[in-house]
Amino acid sequence: MSETQKSIPIGKLLRAENSNFVAGCRVRELDTPALGALVKVKLEDQSEIYGLITNILINDDSLVRQLVSGVSIPTEYTADNRYNRNLPVEIHVLTVGYAQNGSISHRLPPRPPLSLDELHLCNPDELCHFTSLNDQSYLRHILRLLDQPVEELLAAHLRQAKSAHESADDSAWYEQACQKMITLLRDDYPRLTTVLDVLTDLERE
Amino acid sequence: MENQTLTQNTTIGYVIGGGLEANLEVRLTVPPQEVQEGAFVVIDSNNWRFYGLVTDLRLTAIDEHYANQLNSQRFAPHLADYLNEQTLFTNLAVMPVLMKEKGPDLASPDYSAWRREHTEDPSPMPVKTIPNHHAAVKLADRADIADIFGEENNKEIFRVGSTREQDHPVCLNLDKFVQRSSGIFGTTGSGKSFLARMILAGLIHADHASTLIFDMHNEYGIDSTSSDTGDAVVGLKGKFSNKVRLVGLGAGTKFGNQQPDYTLEVSHSDITVEDVLQLTQILNLKETTATTLDKLESEFHESWFTRFMQMNVGTVVENEDGKTEPAPDSVAFWARQAGIHPGAAEALRSKLNRLFNRPYLTDAPASSGLNAIITSLQDKRHVVLSFGKYDNELDYLLVTNLITRKIRDTWERSTEDFHSGNGQEPRPLVVVVEEAHKLLNREMASQTIFSTIAREMRKYYVTLLIIDQRPSQIYDEVMSQLGTRISGSLGDENDINAVLSGLPGRGGLRGMLAKLQPKEEVLMLGWGVPMPIPIRSRRYDLQFWVDLLGNERRPQSTKEFNSFLGMDDDSD
Repeated sequence: MSETQKSIPIGKLLRAENSNFVAGCRVRELDTPALGALVKVKLEDQSEIYGLITNILINDDSLVRQLVSGVSIPTEYTADNRYNRNLPVEIHVLTVGYAQNGSISHRLPPRPPLSLDELHLCNPDELCHFTSLNDQSYLRHILRLLDQPVEELLAAHLRQAKSAHESADDSAWYEQACQKMITLLRDDYPRLTTVLDVLTDLERE
Repeated sequence: MENQTLTQNTTIGYVIGGGLEANLEVRLTVPPQEVQEGAFVVIDSNNWRFYGLVTDLRLTAIDEHYANQLNSQRFAPHLADYLNEQTLFTNLAVMPVLMKEKGPDLASPDYSAWRREHTEDPSPMPVKTIPNHHAAVKLADRADIADIFGEENNKEIFRVGSTREQDHPVCLNLDKFVQRSSGIFGTTGSGKSFLARMILAGLIHADHASTLIFDMHNEYGIDSTSSDTGDAVVGLKGKFSNKVRLVGLGAGTKFGNQQPDYTLEVSHSDITVEDVLQLTQILNLKETTATTLDKLESEFHESWFTRFMQMNVGTVVENEDGKTEPAPDSVAFWARQAGIHPGAAEALRSKLNRLFNRPYLTDAPASSGLNAIITSLQDKRHVVLSFGKYDNELDYLLVTNLITRKIRDTWERSTEDFHSGNGQEPRPLVVVVEEAHKLLNREMASQTIFSTIAREMRKYYVTLLIIDQRPSQIYDEVMSQLGTRISGSLGDENDINAVLSGLPGRGGLRGMLAKLQPKEEVLMLGWGVPMPIPIRSRRYDLQFWVDLLGNERRPQSTKEFNSFLGMDDDSD
């Protein structure tokens, strides 16, 4: 694997359960993770847990509240608060599969990752490999999400994955993914049509 | 998908619901244009094969919202295509008709045990259960159709047409066809007389039954020209000159270039009171007629017709007292003596003038054409009685009744002799009646011999083949007795209902019948066929005769062609 193809560390685990986990990172590290990106956590036993970033959360604290309520904030205060504060940015991840002994499954892992495990952004090769397996069945996990803009998440993920597959000369992947989405969502007319509206918008960009 | 890609036993869908009464519901997996109403399908489920007919195609959707909007306008084209593929469907209504145990798969270890229990191949039986959910539905292939309708053998298993989608041959078992009365129906121009010609050719060629054809419009026996295409149409006499006797009604009747084998003149003594009573409607006879005729018959016996004809109307003589009274040769004189109202007798005499004037009714015919017809039929010949110039309703009713009554008497006697061990089994006979509604309408059915034949003569080896364009005019009790019905396009709702009378699954068949092509498509149904099926009928052309009679080289010239058709060549 070339240097540029390495997985990029983007944070460390704060808390986890089988179906999702949350990692934290510093604000200055925030230019890498993005909504819908495929990430993974490497466990001590060398197994890996894969997930999609479903939400990035920046929490407030009492200092921020005081600063926000002030009349004017000096630039150095803003910079200090952003880059030196002890409160991490939270990266929420939906678990979509795991790898054990070199084989990837789109089921939930037997155990969640542990705190302080390192979260990595998957490189394009890993993205292509993971998303091509098992008839793209990992997409079903996204439908579990409640009270979240699933359509936007799907659109963001498909856009990234489409780009990676097309760079690898695989334009069929996106077509299959669209069909898979329709299969998974066809019994939910309002949701499916919203997803298709988003995808249509995306394609027209 | 193109039509050609639908190879043998192509899967077209899978069962998703339904039942015996409500028909099976099948999700179509090919474009709807590749399956037509009336398509013959097979469904394999466990060890059974089910045979059914597509009776309806219906557009449906997972959610009606998907169908109610034009997806291609809202979404990117490829997304709209995928969405339509997965959410919009066509469902078939399949009427299951027959089922057959086919046993385990040949490769299965259970097959040999099953085969030991079933040494003979099971035959199809009326459907009594249903296939499983998701059983694959396939278009029947040639072998499936042959399994059900038989493999053409150029004898009694006669090819009448082919399936509409894939052109697989569909046969009719002529032996079964003649066991019960049957009917060929269709509006004018639907090709019913060509179909009738073809089936008659098949019957004559198979030679398992005699046929008597009342050829009202002179189109079956002699060669003619198609009114639609102008092509030469071969008559049955032309192709089966040894087997077919062409009989002309009345002395001196000729049919263009063709001479009849003999002519039919009816002796007055052959006419019975019953024959005249059957003309009640057409001669507008009164209620008193029966009494007068009975009196005539009881007094003059067989010669009643001649004697009544010889009586004069209105002649008087002067008696000793100088008063006028009916002359001894008058109708009134006889009536008075017989105790009949003279007015009624004279009115009847006048009305019967139409009969007395028929040239083919003679006191002393040159030969007994009537007996010759019966003898021909008993001798395994076929008779085409052409009415020549006598093609009006009165002649048709009188002559058909007269001959058929004679046939009934003869065949009943032969059958009784056969059952009592004194004779051979009678030759099955099919009486072919055109314009059948004139003989079998509600008013006439009770009077004519034909309704008796349709209902009861089966056991005496005589059945009817009715050819008509208005089946609704035929008495429903007769219609419901018809074994095999072959119907072309019918415009009138009542006619369609009449053809389907007494049959199960009428709802599905009605639509099928109503939507037949105006030409060359027919629906076969009834007792004589294993299951209803719409077919494209075989063409009555040169190829038909080559296929039927075989060993015939295709004609190379007009002269050879005319000769092949059995026509004299007038071109030189």
